[in-house]
Amino acid sequence: MEHGTLEREIHIDAAPDVVFDVVSSPEHVREWWPDEAEYPVEPGGAGRIGFGGSWVQFTVVDAIPPKLFSFRWTHAEGETAAPGNSFLVVFELEPAGTGTRLRMTESGFRERGWDEAKIAAEYADHESGWDHFLPRLPAYATKVGATP
Amino acid sequence: MSTAVDDDLWSAIGDPTRRRMLDLLLSEGSGTATSLSEHLPVTRQAVAKHLAVLDRVGLVHAQNAGREKQFRVDEAQLARAVAQLADVGNAWDARLSRIKRIAETIERNK
Repeated sequence: MEHGTLEREIHIDAAPDVVFDVVSSPEHVREWWPDEAEYPVEPGGAGRIGFGGSWVQFTVVDAIPPKLFSFRWTHAEGETAAPGNSFLVVFELEPAGTGTRLRMTESGFRERGWDEAKIAAEYADHESGWDHFLPRLPAYATKVGATP
Repeated sequence: MSTAVDDDLWSAIGDPTRRRMLDLLLSEGSGTATSLSEHLPVTRQAVAKHLAVLDRVGLVHAQNAGREKQFRVDEAQLARAVAQLADVGNAWDARLSRIKRIAETIERNK
């Protein structure tokens, strides 16, 4: 285990362009993580994500559809996101059969210290469990089905 | 524990040589700067410095036995450091499950 970086890899039965959209576009990111997401999906795009009324800074590092999406988050407002002041999340997408292999890494824990990492982990618990998400799913599926 | 201690614990475990040393100490049960340096591409002096870092954050404890200090891993402290990483990992596992579900739902409705 690499203790400075968190790594995950999953297979998704959906095409890379679909997965890219889900991991990068603010409309979709709101469905799997924060309550609010406001940022341009372009390299250097600065914005913010919101959890229950409190905002966290969010800056896109790279956006290369449908292969790579990366961002930095948790830097202080007014600061430019850089190593040492934020966590870096990288999504790498590769075609795998008819689906996509999605690899995620998050790094920056060593540089920032564990108190920050714990706070970041707690954001995940806010309105984000399966109990919250599952009841919303049928309505969501209908919504995306109606969109070209 | 204070933030500073947590940060130190994290930097202690963040170094690849120190992680290798922890692995060796866990598999061997205990070790000295000399015995560890035989398995590592660094000098005994460098190993001694790394052991001092690990000792300071409580990841290893030294016993004076014979000519050289004998080090053992504090498994409770190591478990605590690993658990902190697991908290962050669990958060991402939940997010990735949702990403998968959303993307597959969209794919099916295409």
